[in-house]
Amino acid sequence: MSEAKAHKVKDIFVEGSIDPAYIATSIAKHTTRTDIGAHEIFLGQVRADTIDGRTTKAIEYTAYRGMALEQMTMIREEAFVRWPTLTCLHVHHSLGVISAGELCFMVFASAPHRQQAREAVAWVVDRIKSELPIFGKEMNADGGHVWKENR
Amino acid sequence: MEVLLFGLIAEKAGARRLELEAPTLSELRARLAERIPELSALSYAIAVDRVIVKEDRALNGSEEIAVLPPFAGG
Repeated sequence: MSEAKAHKVKDIFVEGSIDPAYIATSIAKHTTRTDIGAHEIFLGQVRADTIDGRTTKAIEYTAYRGMALEQMTMIREEAFVRWPTLTCLHVHHSLGVISAGELCFMVFASAPHRQQAREAVAWVVDRIKSELPIFGKEMNADGGHVWKENR
Repeated sequence: MEVLLFGLIAEKAGARRLELEAPTLSELRARLAERIPELSALSYAIAVDRVIVKEDRALNGSEEIAVLPPFAGG
């Protein structure tokens, strides 16, 4: 089994936004894995929502790290059971204050063929949004805030 | 026992941890409601040792307890 498939607890959290250059580097790291035929990448970006005339300027993310990482390990293991041909799966989520327009979430799957990579990413993104104890304070331009809730 | 609070719940409590004593989860919920009056109007889950528990159960005081408002990852 490759190192990428070793099911140890990985820290998905990064302080601050996800640098697009980091994503480019992540893609480049796979050039030696010639069994890969498809990469699928989901990127979450902080949106400047306007609700009741108030515009979000940033989201401050916090997490219950211990539980989030345990949940993520289970989700990863289940993904590799559901899509056994998956070559690798990389997940990052931001903590701290992330400004509108910045990236806060990445799910990156690679597989020999596109279908497994696509399905796995869509499934992993949904599971993370509904099951990981991550909290988001939407900070408005006027100084107020609203707590984000996934639906 | 130490109870970890997150997000909106921590904001309402004015603290990220509380020290509470309760022999069962249902009694813990009652103690929490006393300490955080706004709690009854909020949506939340309780995790015992990093797993969400809905039913009542006994607590021995050594568990890791967390009060979790709705998730907002992604």
